[in-house]
Amino acid sequence: MRQRVLVSSVVGVALVIAALDATFGVPTTRLRVALALLGALGVAALGGLSVARTRRDHPLVTRVLVTVVVVVIALVATARLSSNVDTDVAIGAAMTIVLLGLSFLTGSSGQISLGNGAFMGVGAFTVAIWANHHATSPLILVLVLAVAAGAAVGFLLGLPATRLRGPYLAGMTLAFAVAFGAVLNVFGSWTGGDSGLQLPNAENAPRWLVHLYPASTASLSVNSVWLAALSVVSAGVALLLMANLFASRFGRAMRLVRDNDVAAELVGISLPRARVVAFVVSAAYAALGGALWTVVNNAVTPSTYGLALSITILSLVVIGGIGTIPGAIIGGLIYAFANSLIGWITTHTGLNPQGNVASQLNGIIFGVLLVATIVFAPMGISGALRRLWAHRSR
Amino acid sequence: MDDVTSAPLLTLDGVSVDFGGLHALHDVSFSVQPGEIVGLIGPNGAGKTTAFNVICGFVRPTNGHVRFPRSQRHNLRPSQLAAAGVARTLQGVGLFPHCSVLENVMAGGHRRAGGTFFDGLVSTPRGIRSERQLRRDALAMLERLGVADVAARLPGAIPYGVAKKVSLARALMSEPELLLLDEPASGLDEAELGQFAGLIMSLRAQMGILLVEHDMEFVMPLVDRLVVLNFGEVIATGTPDEVRHHEQVVAAYLGVET
Repeated sequence: MRQRVLVSSVVGVALVIAALDATFGVPTTRLRVALALLGALGVAALGGLSVARTRRDHPLVTRVLVTVVVVVIALVATARLSSNVDTDVAIGAAMTIVLLGLSFLTGSSGQISLGNGAFMGVGAFTVAIWANHHATSPLILVLVLAVAAGAAVGFLLGLPATRLRGPYLAGMTLAFAVAFGAVLNVFGSWTGGDSGLQLPNAENAPRWLVHLYPASTASLSVNSVWLAALSVVSAGVALLLMANLFASRFGRAMRLVRDNDVAAELVGISLPRARVVAFVVSAAYAALGGALWTVVNNAVTPSTYGLALSITILSLVVIGGIGTIPGAIIGGLIYAFANSLIGWITTHTGLNPQGNVASQLNGIIFGVLLVATIVFAPMGISGALRRLWAHRSR
Repeated sequence: MDDVTSAPLLTLDGVSVDFGGLHALHDVSFSVQPGEIVGLIGPNGAGKTTAFNVICGFVRPTNGHVRFPRSQRHNLRPSQLAAAGVARTLQGVGLFPHCSVLENVMAGGHRRAGGTFFDGLVSTPRGIRSERQLRRDALAMLERLGVADVAARLPGAIPYGVAKKVSLARALMSEPELLLLDEPASGLDEAELGQFAGLIMSLRAQMGILLVEHDMEFVMPLVDRLVVLNFGEVIATGTPDEVRHHEQVVAAYLGVET
């Protein structure tokens, strides 16, 4: 079984590299060498991990393996694609992190949240505010701070949430999402009010990455590759940690609470504690996603983190598949490439990109997808794919 | 009976529960000793389920105390029961519908499984080891009850009698000193009834058992003592033989049946 996973993932990585190669051509020899190295590294990592496997019931190996494959594919893709697409990938990878967090809260512990857009905002503004006061902080520290801030806010919001169920909980998180913008305004001297904040220094690609690219290429594209890689690797770490959590007794406790809260209490799970933990994890993930958005966009505006974003996040989780990790990745991909898709539609249908219809296309596509998912695949796209897979292998 | 080692596992001490103006339980007192099987019986609406819920902390007593003398605690919340050595099965099967049978049984050992949140998050060797041990124990428990073949199935996909055994397996996973069984016989056929009675008898060496049951033929040969409730009050306690000939009991309950 694991051999098959290994072989198919190696073949998959090779195929993706080959396909990208054929589609976009290779700009320089140096880049080709870098890609080959990256591919070799990925394959070596997979090989090493498969040798290191200890027991059949050791799913950690599988989890690491899948994560590495996904990250390598995304990294290779960003190194080859145009800088516009790189930004899409960066934004989508950050969104995947947010979706993982909401998936844990809603799909695993059965709680609904309309406040995850605002949790993202907490992370986004933490980064911007900190950077404006301490311009030289290392990026990793800033991201950790954002996660901590998100977790703290999640904890505070999780406390009242322990006493609320269903629509009441949705109402409370909705109130948080609506209040967030007002709170930002009140502290306008810190948050920059309606116009938001600009980062003092853009996050630049490190020198070794710049050297891999030929001098003639605009430095902008190296930076976008770097930002995409940053986002993708962060998403990879977040994904692995979430997969671990799903497989641990804490993940199980969440599923037990969702399935039958009376029986969950009787096996010794404290419901308030489980609910607060779910909120903290979800908010911390959302904050990391928001923090990455600020780093990628080099700025933050309060209007980004309104109620609409929270609803988009919830829809994406439903479309991708609630409570599943592949579902979060699918949702992130949809979000990343929605704009490209709209661009493709407008150029191929002759719609005026500035016109009324085109400007509403985003909402139309999301709406259609959401309705189609609920009608045809209640378990989301990942659920539908799994059923298809199970059907074929029978 | 008064020295500490043979202290009762459970004592209800003048417990009353009022729902608004309704007296669901009134001044109920009884206890369960180690190695003893006690049956809680009574006609419909007598307060049996309320008694179970007040023992488990789902309902707070209006008056009186629910004591667990062995762990020197009282009026516990439901999530504290497992740590105090108390396990309960729910009416019907009460399993987790979207978790496999094996996961259901592993859930019963939730308190026992080691590992902090951090162990889970980064999958430390300690966390992995304890999960693996828990999985092994759960499989062994399923084997002990003879239902290991359904370990990978979902609770909805297995026969009712098997599901009841799974829910018993889940309760036993916490290695309880006191086992509370809520209608263990309901919905079982003749053969399964016999098996279940044998199972319960085999457990008495390790724990005290309190069970709520409607099926008199099932209860009478099984229990050491009976506590009979009617309109929220204890009207009789004693061995099955004593209770069978108790006037009030015959009038209130058994009389209807015979």
